[in-house]
Amino acid sequence: MSDSTIEQGTSLWQDALRRLAKNKLAMSGLFFLLFLIVVSLLTPFIAPYSYETQDLYKGATPPSFEHWFGTDVLGRDQLTRVMYGSRISLMVGFVATSVALIIGVLWGTIAGYLGGRVDTFMMRVVDILYALPFSIFIILLTVVFGRSMLLLFLAIGAVEWLTMARIIRSQVMSIKKQEYVESAISIGLSRTHIIFRYLIPNAIGPIIVYTTLTIPSVILLESFLSFLGLGIQPPQSSWGSLISYGVETMEEYPWLLIFPGLVLSLTLFSLNFLGDGLRDALDPKVSKD
Amino acid sequence: MLGFIFKRVLAAIPVLFLVILITFVLVRLAPGGPFDEERNVPPQVLENLNKRYHLDDPIHVQFFDYLGNLLQGDFGPSYKYPNRSVTEIISSGVPVTMELGFYALIFAVFAGSLAGIFAALKPNSWRDYTPMSIAMIGICVPSFVMGPILVLIFGIWLNWLPVAGWGYAAYDKIIPTITLGATYAAYVARLTRGGMLEVLSQDYIRTARAKGLPEWKVILFHALRGGIAPVVAFLGPAAAGLLSGSFVVETIFQIPGIGRFFLQAAFNRDYTMILGTTVFFAGLIISFNLITDIVTVWLNPKLRKDAFEK
Repeated sequence: MSDSTIEQGTSLWQDALRRLAKNKLAMSGLFFLLFLIVVSLLTPFIAPYSYETQDLYKGATPPSFEHWFGTDVLGRDQLTRVMYGSRISLMVGFVATSVALIIGVLWGTIAGYLGGRVDTFMMRVVDILYALPFSIFIILLTVVFGRSMLLLFLAIGAVEWLTMARIIRSQVMSIKKQEYVESAISIGLSRTHIIFRYLIPNAIGPIIVYTTLTIPSVILLESFLSFLGLGIQPPQSSWGSLISYGVETMEEYPWLLIFPGLVLSLTLFSLNFLGDGLRDALDPKVSKD
Repeated sequence: MLGFIFKRVLAAIPVLFLVILITFVLVRLAPGGPFDEERNVPPQVLENLNKRYHLDDPIHVQFFDYLGNLLQGDFGPSYKYPNRSVTEIISSGVPVTMELGFYALIFAVFAGSLAGIFAALKPNSWRDYTPMSIAMIGICVPSFVMGPILVLIFGIWLNWLPVAGWGYAAYDKIIPTITLGATYAAYVARLTRGGMLEVLSQDYIRTARAKGLPEWKVILFHALRGGIAPVVAFLGPAAAGLLSGSFVVETIFQIPGIGRFFLQAAFNRDYTMILGTTVFFAGLIISFNLITDIVTVWLNPKLRKDAFEK
């Protein structure tokens, strides 16, 4: 009896994986992302040049065999700069998404599980926050508290949790009516135990899907701020700051704009395709649009 | 219906109040007073400055003063440009931003719904995949990449269109409009496609076809009305998003709208200007959401009935 239930549990995931593997766009997105993550992790070892090396005699040169992405005005290798930029952008993407994930999942689970007035109040807060102009607020925060990486993580994370909270809440509301949750309540398990051992693990599908879809909007927000000069500060650079630097000189040296822009766009593509693919795989009922 | 509208407007007021309060407190929390950057200000002058701008009052008095002035449309003086008031600066930027946003929205709705209808007519064929792939590009390529690349191609390499400006040269409004509208055009395309696909499988469409209407009439007069409904619901958030998107586009193309003034204020630490533009933007965005809510209810007879009964 217990064997068959275990088999059913795994077959759901196997089924989802099989569906995902058939989705070519999602799989190519996944492979691009894996490639990008590996390259970013190994950047200090495999970057063709060091981050600071300047060659002022050389100046800006178009892409060549020595410098695949060309060099900038100071003669720095653009490929190396894009690789280091990927480290920053991906790190902001993952850390800020984790902040959003933790707030969103806890908020949604608690509201959905407790229900009643607590739920009304908590969701009213979400509704109000939804109505606020967030890019403006983040810019305001960077002005007030200075431009630090920690603030960037917190501010972006604090903005991006709303959708997650709404989705998890509706999941939890349907999960809590299931019999196994009732039985958990009737044997006297604590609320914390029920939330962390029963509700959250059973909502893991949508959590994965919306995490994948939150990462691109976080990366986009960070690049947007860095592009405006309010995000990552020099000497560090992310894709956004590289793009803003490329825009200044695009008339003479278009490769300084095109390569970071291309890598950023490809990353956003991949994450969106993977997210859509995961959604289709984990929940075939939800249509694409 | 009137009661419903009244209720929604009432619910929006505390949100706006909260935004003003949070922004006000944040700006006051900022390290240093607004005049700290002026060099060698004698303490007496600083005191007078603080007095003139009522910065020596307790914070709650300042807040309610600000709120009172705001109700009369007075956003206070700019710290950076003492001879101009924030109200003046904002009202000089508003028409520009509105014009840009309006063009972008028109572009998004027309280009987007055309592409969406086109894709929905032959689902899962190249006529579906081509516009939808272009839409995916519109969603994934951020405006600060798309704008410069459009300028590079059409402004610099092909030399067809001006590279920057707003109203200085012929056709200089085209690239900014497309840059700002592209993402929303893409979303509109996806929504229209989804809506049309759903509607086209309904019985009444079959009836329309069965009674011998030409296909274009079926699409335009019967299907489009229902198929476009998700787009209407999207217009409010889109208008709000266009406003925030205008920062980047106005900065890239040097367009003198409020988005650009807001960013300049952020860099100059011009606190009253930041406060004023934030409150103004927030007010606009909240109103857009409010209007969308009301229009959505008004368009959908089922929801309208609920709203009446409440």
